[in-house]
Amino acid sequence: MKNKSKLIVFSFFIASIYNIGAQSLLDKLKAEPIDTTFYTEATFKGTRVGVGHSVETRKKNSLEISVMNRFWNLSREEETETSNSFIADRMSSRFGIDYSFTDRLTYGVGFSTLNNVLDNYVKYRLIRQQDNGPNKFSLTAFQSATHRSIPGNTNANFNDRLSFTTQLLFARKFTRNFSLQISPTYIHRSTVSSDLDDNNQFAVGFAARYKLKGHTSIFSEYFYVANELNSVETFGVFSLGVNWELSDLLLQFKMTNTGNFVEDAFITQTRRNFNFEDGNFFFGFHATYFIQL
Amino acid sequence: MLKTLLSFFIFISLGCVVIEAQDYIDRQGEITFFSYTSVEDIQAKNNQGLSSISLETGDIAVRILMKAFVFKKSLMHEHFNESYIESDLYPEATFLGKIIDFNQDDDEQIRIIKGDFQLRDVSKPFEIKSKITKENNTYSIEGELEVNIEDYKIKVPKLLSPNIAKTIKVSFKFQYRPNEK
Repeated sequence: MKNKSKLIVFSFFIASIYNIGAQSLLDKLKAEPIDTTFYTEATFKGTRVGVGHSVETRKKNSLEISVMNRFWNLSREEETETSNSFIADRMSSRFGIDYSFTDRLTYGVGFSTLNNVLDNYVKYRLIRQQDNGPNKFSLTAFQSATHRSIPGNTNANFNDRLSFTTQLLFARKFTRNFSLQISPTYIHRSTVSSDLDDNNQFAVGFAARYKLKGHTSIFSEYFYVANELNSVETFGVFSLGVNWELSDLLLQFKMTNTGNFVEDAFITQTRRNFNFEDGNFFFGFHATYFIQL
Repeated sequence: MLKTLLSFFIFISLGCVVIEAQDYIDRQGEITFFSYTSVEDIQAKNNQGLSSISLETGDIAVRILMKAFVFKKSLMHEHFNESYIESDLYPEATFLGKIIDFNQDDDEQIRIIKGDFQLRDVSKPFEIKSKITKENNTYSIEGELEVNIEDYKIKVPKLLSPNIAKTIKVSFKFQYRPNEK
C-alpha cells in the first residue's frame, strides 16, 4: 500500500516536471484568445466569376487592368460566304480598369467593342464573411451604368442610350474549395427596341467556384430572367470555365453563349442557347493584371 | 498514508507556484520573413506572434497565426494563404524548444535555442543562435533562421519558381513580460 502511494506521488512528480516543459507553455499559448477577426479570402478568384461580377472586391489602392475577349463563329444562316476565317469569324473585346479606393469600395470603367459600349460600375462590400466571427456570408452591392450605340437609330440622344444594372451579390465560401453565389438583379434600359418589351427586367444569377489545386479553379454561372423580352427569343446566359492564376496575372478561360460584356446586355439579351454549334458557342479569354499602388 | 497525501499536495501546489511565477509571455511578437530572388523580393510581417518562456528551465514555445502576416502587395496575402501555406488547413506554425544554458540573471547573452519548428504538419529540428537581453523585468530574444520551403512541402508552380526563393529567411523578435492572469 505504501509503495503504491509512493509510486503515485512519484508519477505526479514526473508529470509536474513535464508540465513545466515547452509543451505546456504551448498549450497555454493555444488557450490565448485571438483578438483579430480574419476575413475569409478568395470566395471567388477574381472580381468577375465568368461573365458576371463576383462578390469580391480588391484591397485598398489596388489597380487591375483587364482585357477580355470572346471569339465565335457565325451560324449557317448568318454566313454570307463560307467560313474560312482564321480561328474565329468574329471577336469582341473589352478593355477595363478597376481601382479599389478602400478594402470595400471598387470602381471600374471599361469599353467594349460590340455596340461600342462604355460602362462603369461601383461595387461596395457590405458584409464580409469571417473565419472566426459572426459573419457567415459576404454581401456586395453592385451598380453599373452603361452607354451604348444603337444601330440604325441616329436620333437617340445620350439618355436614350443608357442602361442601369443593380445587383445584390450574396456569397458564401462553404469549404476551402467550394463557394456559391446568388445575385438578385434589376435592370433598367432607357429605351427598348420594341413596344412589346418592358424597360425593367428582373433576374437571378447563380454562380459556383470549385478549387482544384493551389492555383487552378473551375467556375460556372447561370442567370435566370423572370420577365424575358417578348419581341425576340432570349436565353439565360451560361458560362463554364477555368481560372488560372500566376502571381499578379489572373487568366480566365471560358465557354459561354454571349459576346457581350456588360450586365444589362448579356443577362437579358442573350439570343443564343448554350451549345457547341457555330453561332452559339463563344470562347472567352480574360486576362487581369494586378498592380499595387 | 496521511504523510504521502500531504507530500502529494505539497508537490502539486509547488508545481503550480513554479508555473505561475516563472511564466513570461509576449503577445505581440514580431516575425518577418523575406524571400529574395532576382525577379521579385517578397517581405511579410506579423505583429501578433505569441510566445512564452520559462525562466527556470529555459523552455520556449511560439505560436504564429499564418493569416496575421501582412504583405505590401495585398493580393499576395491571398495567394500566400490560399495557394502556398493553405492556412485554412494549417492555420498556425509553432516552435517548441529550449534555450541551452539560459541564465536568467545575465543582462546580455548569446545562446543557442534548440527545438522543432512545425509548419503545415511538418516538424523539423532547428538550432537558432539568438541574442537574449534583460532589461528591468523584460526579456527580449531575437534571432534568425532559414526555412527550406521544400522541407515543408510548399508547392510552387514551375512558372513561378524564379519568383520565390528556395530558402526563406525568417527573423523574430520577442519581448517577454511576466504573464499576468
